[in-house]
Amino acid sequence: MSKQTAMINRYKWYEVISIYAAIAVFLFFVLAPFVEGFLVSLKPLSRLFSSPYRFWPEHGSFDAYFTMWDSVPNFGLYVFNSIFISTVVTVVVLILVVPAAYAFARFEFSGRGPLLAAFLAVNMFSGAVLLIPLFRLMRSLGILNTYAAMIVPGAAFLIPTAIWLLRTYMMRIPKELEEAAYVDGATRLYTLRRIILPLAMPGITVVAITTFIGAYAQQFIYALTFNSKTEFMPLPIGLFAYFGRQEVIWNELMAASFVGIAPALIVIFFLQRYLVSGLTAGAVK
Amino acid sequence: MGQLHLNKVTKSFGEIDVINGVTLDVKDGEFVVFVGPSGCGKSTLLRIIAGLEDATEGGIVIDGVKVNDLAPVKRGIAMVFQSYALYPHMSVFENIAFPLRVEKMPEADLKKKVESVAAVLKLDQRLQQRPGSLSGGQRQRVAIGRAIVREPKIFLFDEPLSNLDAALRADMRIELTKLHHDLAATMIYVTHDQIEAMTMADRIVVLNGGYISQVGKPLELYHKPQNKFVASFIGNPKMNFLPATCIAAKPEGVTVVCEGQTVTIPVEPRDGLTGEKLTLGIRPEHITLGAGDVKFDIVPSVVERLGVNTIVYASASGDAPFSAAFAGAAAVTVDTPATISFNAADCHLFDDKGEALERRTDLHEIDLEALNAV
Ligand SMILES: Nc1ncnc2c1ncn2[C@@H]1O[C@H](COP(=O)(O)OP(=O)(O)OP(=O)(O)O)[C@@H](O)[C@H]1O
Ligand SMILES: [Mg+2]
Repeated sequence: MSKQTAMINRYKWYEVISIYAAIAVFLFFVLAPFVEGFLVSLKPLSRLFSSPYRFWPEHGSFDAYFTMWDSVPNFGLYVFNSIFISTVVTVVVLILVVPAAYAFARFEFSGRGPLLAAFLAVNMFSGAVLLIPLFRLMRSLGILNTYAAMIVPGAAFLIPTAIWLLRTYMMRIPKELEEAAYVDGATRLYTLRRIILPLAMPGITVVAITTFIGAYAQQFIYALTFNSKTEFMPLPIGLFAYFGRQEVIWNELMAASFVGIAPALIVIFFLQRYLVSGLTAGAVK
Repeated sequence: MGQLHLNKVTKSFGEIDVINGVTLDVKDGEFVVFVGPSGCGKSTLLRIIAGLEDATEGGIVIDGVKVNDLAPVKRGIAMVFQSYALYPHMSVFENIAFPLRVEKMPEADLKKKVESVAAVLKLDQRLQQRPGSLSGGQRQRVAIGRAIVREPKIFLFDEPLSNLDAALRADMRIELTKLHHDLAATMIYVTHDQIEAMTMADRIVVLNGGYISQVGKPLELYHKPQNKFVASFIGNPKMNFLPATCIAAKPEGVTVVCEGQTVTIPVEPRDGLTGEKLTLGIRPEHITLGAGDVKFDIVPSVVERLGVNTIVYASASGDAPFSAAFAGAAAVTVDTPATISFNAADCHLFDDKGEALERRTDLHEIDLEALNAV
């Protein structure tokens, strides 16, 4: 019997086994495509469809990771476009959402409830449903075939979720802190900058990460519809370039996918260090 | 200067009337304590004075200026919150310096001021720590430091000690009294702890359901409560109330029959009292074992021995138990009937509306002036 674990954390052997089994099933479903994709990227193209099918690659090599740059010379640009679009979307969303979430968390104004409900409702339509109206809107604004065509709708559809997320977080910051600052003469903006923003940092980080990932994932549909210029194409469109006329270069396609995801992974890895919990300890008893 | 005048202040939250017309004058340098049961509007009144809440009606006047529409800083007040409300991401130094940073005070002056305040509050060793790593008492001191660094005219405290344990509370009480003496600033202090109220206040304001029940010096409230509410609120254990019938009201006092005995209580008589049902109030600490003007038997159901005194509870006809406090270790045991008594001079009388008939106790005799002169 281990003395360290609290009573509530102790499980019978069969409970432990079922917990791990459940985790294993879950992980298998989530990770299997990645594993398979990675293994494919290591196989030479000629061996890909050899039968019998082999899970483990024979003559595996990282060649595809080098040749992919030759097959699609613009691939670097596509990755850059993706990161650029996602970053701009994230920055725009944060600039708009932080004050908005603060207002929704703290101010009583007429229409607050309906507005929040409307945001949820907007979330139910993905941008895809609204493609045609959006297309006409973009055209009248004259921003088709620019970065803005992918950034503006991208940001717009990510804002509602971001407001909900951050509002919930900000409501947890004790109200007395703002009252104390107000009594001491601080303006709303000063309080927002010196008190609320530092305390909401973990929440803002979560919003930044989800927005970045969301923007990274959703560009495809906007890029496909609102942009026809190669030089603005983001990664998902870039991946299409590996679908050749005769054949699909599967191994390079997989390699390119992994290379394309890497920057997003790196960003998330660095941002998550700011997800410090318990920052409000000691504020109020 | 820190005079405060409240003129018929009322506050309603929608349909609910929380403050029902409070008029009060607070002198410069006075320590005024608001007490009252939970939900009676103490915090709300304090927040109205602070400017965190608008008064529905009525005027708030500080030093002759109506401040209803002024922001808290402009009113010259500082507030210490019950929950401390320290900024967790800032050091103790930055917490105390916050009001000065808002004012954009030059760094050198700011540093000097924060350090002098920290010295007063014995926080000089803690300036670089975060509030999260401080004890409750230290956090409380940081909150007070943030209030005094700005040198406001009026300090507002909302139950500042209620989160501390009993021993620390007693220490902080003494420190706050000292601080009030040193700063000579006006302080308004909300508490539901009567010991804090009795020991710290120059004057106590007893609130009940949004009304002021009585305003007075601590001993005045103890000896001459104007109504049953104040009588039962001040003093621990609570005052006992016994039914009594008036049989005569003469200049020397009001004669009542209580517990089958006739006793004349030295209170101001009033016309039309004879025959009325009254309530006689007697504090537990004025009850003795043995002989007195009114004498009867009780059967103790609980006996608490505190060393300094012995508190006895007995079931009584009313809803509240009858209680008595005897000095030292008294010879009483549970379930053994004991004969107790009290003197007419210690009694309070209340009419059927709960209003007190004024006692003939001379407060000078209780040495109030002498107390204040020290
Ligand atoms: N923002 C508000 N909206 C509606 N009602 C409120 C609001 N603030 C306070 N009240 C009501 O006003 C009444 C008085 O509240 P207040 O906080 O002043 O009581 P209190 O005397 O400080 O009590 P306690 O000793 O428990 O702190 C309560 O009944 C409370 O429900
Ligand atoms: Mg309160």
